[in-house]
Amino acid sequence: MRAYATKHPVWSAILFFAAAFLLWMIFAIWPAWLIDILGRKKVFLSALLNGITLGGLYFLVASGFTLIFGLMRNVNLAHGSLYLLGGYIGYIVATATGYWILAFPAAFIVVAAFGILLQFFVFRRMEGQDLRQTLVTIGISIVMADLMLWGFGGDFYNITPPEWLSGPIQTFFVTGVKRSSGDLIFLKYPVVRLVILVAAILIGIGMWVLLNRTQVGMLIRAGVDDRDMLSATGARIQWVFVGVFAFGAGLAGLAGVVGGTFQSIAPGEDIRFLLASLVVVIVGGMGSITGAALGAVIIGLAEQFGSVYFPTYAVVLTFVIMVVVLAFRPQGLLGRA
Amino acid sequence: MAVTETNLGLSTQSDFSRRNAGESSSTAPWHAQVPVGYWVVGFVLLLMPAFASDFMLFQIFGWTFILGMIALSLMFLAGYGGMVSLVQMTLAALAGYCMAIFGTSAIETISLGWPWWVAIPIALIIAVIFGTITGALAVRTEGIYTIMITLAIASAFFYFTRQNYVIFNGFSGFNGVLPPNLFGIDWRGPKAFYYLTLFWATLSFLVVVYVSRAPFGLALQGVRDNPRRMAALGFNVNAHRIAAYSFSALIAGVAGILLTWQSAQISPGTAGTGPVIDILVIAVIGGLNKPIGPFIGAFIYVLLKTFAIDVLISLGLSGDRFQLLVGISFLLIVFFSPDGVLGLWERWRASRNRDPLLDAGEDRLS
Amino acid sequence: MSVQETGMERSTSVAERLSATGTANALELRGVSKYFGALAALKDITISVAPGERRAVLGSNGAGKTTLFNCITGDFLASEGTVRFFGEDVTEFAAHERIRRGLRRTYQISLLFTGLTVIDNVYLACCGVSRGRFSFIRARRNDALMATAEDLVRVVHLEDSRDTLVANLSYGQQRQLEIAMALSGAPRFILFDEPAAGLSPTERSELIEILTGLPSHMGYIIIEHDMDVALRVSETVTMMHNGAIFKEGKPAEIEEDAEVQALYLGGGHE
Repeated sequence: MRAYATKHPVWSAILFFAAAFLLWMIFAIWPAWLIDILGRKKVFLSALLNGITLGGLYFLVASGFTLIFGLMRNVNLAHGSLYLLGGYIGYIVATATGYWILAFPAAFIVVAAFGILLQFFVFRRMEGQDLRQTLVTIGISIVMADLMLWGFGGDFYNITPPEWLSGPIQTFFVTGVKRSSGDLIFLKYPVVRLVILVAAILIGIGMWVLLNRTQVGMLIRAGVDDRDMLSATGARIQWVFVGVFAFGAGLAGLAGVVGGTFQSIAPGEDIRFLLASLVVVIVGGMGSITGAALGAVIIGLAEQFGSVYFPTYAVVLTFVIMVVVLAFRPQGLLGRA
Repeated sequence: MAVTETNLGLSTQSDFSRRNAGESSSTAPWHAQVPVGYWVVGFVLLLMPAFASDFMLFQIFGWTFILGMIALSLMFLAGYGGMVSLVQMTLAALAGYCMAIFGTSAIETISLGWPWWVAIPIALIIAVIFGTITGALAVRTEGIYTIMITLAIASAFFYFTRQNYVIFNGFSGFNGVLPPNLFGIDWRGPKAFYYLTLFWATLSFLVVVYVSRAPFGLALQGVRDNPRRMAALGFNVNAHRIAAYSFSALIAGVAGILLTWQSAQISPGTAGTGPVIDILVIAVIGGLNKPIGPFIGAFIYVLLKTFAIDVLISLGLSGDRFQLLVGISFLLIVFFSPDGVLGLWERWRASRNRDPLLDAGEDRLS
Repeated sequence: MSVQETGMERSTSVAERLSATGTANALELRGVSKYFGALAALKDITISVAPGERRAVLGSNGAGKTTLFNCITGDFLASEGTVRFFGEDVTEFAAHERIRRGLRRTYQISLLFTGLTVIDNVYLACCGVSRGRFSFIRARRNDALMATAEDLVRVVHLEDSRDTLVANLSYGQQRQLEIAMALSGAPRFILFDEPAAGLSPTERSELIEILTGLPSHMGYIIIEHDMDVALRVSETVTMMHNGAIFKEGKPAEIEEDAEVQALYLGGGHE
């Protein structure tokens, strides 16, 4: 960071002031002129929090995608289908048992098992044939989409979180001052979203620790850097491949439950989350977990702020970001050249 | 410049070999160089309106030729350039939109109503410009990334047209986009439309075959096989790739105009993620290595799309399972014949011709 | 940021180019280093080669000879230092831009288009440095580029295999084809990367004949393990060791040099 500051003093100053201004916007009571420009602070704060929590969801989906891509160079275009599958499984389990929390391990395990099958029967048989692998995953996503449509129809499914999570909670963010009493008004925000955000962050940190502080993580990182070296280390690596694939797929399934809880599960969501993962990893840098986190937050914020401040083109905004990143930094923000 | 050589797995050098085969017999007159099969197919296609129903001409063949052209534009990029682009349907739809916006449609508040000889060139130019920009973005990364980036761009176009009401008229798009009444012919009449699409499909097919052996096409195949070497011969590798995108956009654009005329409408759904991926499915089913492949793939796709429902219902399944059928046939093709049904056919023919006493290693050249 | 920098460099290089015309060296490397991660493949290389000069680069495997070529042609960009080609600073140029200025190279491991015929490989090489490279029109028999390609095929004695697929050529013929491709389109300077490796004695003498028969203004650098070949086709010899230049001199001096003998013949590999 210091190296960056000495190398680009002007940019560092601009970034510093932008960050300071943002912090001020979050914590201060807004003066009238700012409300004139941006509208009520409550709207801004909810967009910010919604963007970050959505980023958390995107991170869960995209980190699996980028992990698989980084290690095995498999572009798994069926990743969105894994997400949707996880959502449906979570719904079944949650409604059948009545325990929301059980939906998570169930979705993770089933989708991870499905991922192992994919790795075993598809990817290992076509090692080194990038295009063919990608085509197969397109075929699988077409088939899965239709099978799920067959099984679940075109309805929207919502996974309901338990009572204690469903209400709003008062946060410490000030949105304004009561005119009558002069008391501060604090923002209320759904608990479940905050819980999920915390979970996403914990999973992210867990992945980082796993990758950077453990033996298996070293092996995986070595594999991302130099695949030839990895194959020279022997047979064990096939198990690492299977493990990473299962984990990445399982995360997508897990994300499906999350998505089903604070949004809904329906046909077409597979494509939406596949695209979100693509854009997130293109922006963040392919194969990089930190990049996926950064990209996910950027895209989540862009979508939410877009839908609040210029609703017509909210979806397009994310793609504009992608194009700009591609034009100036084709390897992604945190990708290696 | 870091040049990674990606193994795309599907690209073979059959066209290089074919060129060689053609070159060595170039002393023969041109009509003798065309295989007999092509003559037969050509005559049957020309005489088709004499015995085929209007539905066959307009719906089956008209649509086959149009989808075949769009898939051909993908085949040019993927087969010769090694770049799998999912943006071809989007380029076609953009040209179609331009026809509606600059020409005439039922949405008179937006359509400018310019004559066809102004609208068509503008539509094609815009499609080519958009294709070029997409190419310039896509070639900044290599190999398999292209598919992800073009998919993202295609989706961006879909969402944008769906949201934008000022230019693209949002969700409903444009209807009443009709071809001009040139020479007093109704070009949407089954016979006229059949010949119109046949003409453009044949022309684009011949142009692709011709260009594949011209310096530009040869260099593109060189770039596909060995970008580093091409740079060491003085070729600007990326410029060639981008030019290939422009050229493919032209073909896709022509097809897009025809597609819009056929259904007389254009809407975001024309270039939704489904149709965008269908073009890849068509090209892969037919075969990505030869210009005829996309047309074969388009024919199979159109037949499936038109008659699969009847077949499914007669098998006791719901007609809704069309996508399942398409998906499974696509998977089977990718699994068992990476070069499409053309590859299947060639392998079958090779195994039949093989002399069991000789090792026929050169069957590819036959 | 970097756009501005290169813009400035380009504008000064025009002035330098004008002042340097006529007196410039064909090739001038100043302080060129190349790092792969922490590994220094080239360390502070400084070489000048006069126009028309013929030089051999010797050194054991891993001495950095091919990396040196890659930095000169732009296959890799140098990590440090400048590369000048006939006075022009080409350090930041992409490979194809250097090639268009008259630099050529051959590859140690043949990088040929194996699915194409001999004549098509050479034709493609001729296209690369001509304006016709984007042509959508097929070449006719009497096309000027095609005629040049035919000539080059004759120069390297491949006329009998003109229409053979490169995949079906013998190893030696492929090496000769590499040379023909390097000679396409008026080269001013050529880098030969072990052209004689794996050739039979007859093919070797043919190669020497081709190299010595090149027009005198066409300089080259040749990497060669075979001392016999290297010394017969070059006027100057540069010895490399561990990514750095170890010795420079006339062939006879180098051959006599005790240090070189100790290093090259004693610790050598061939």
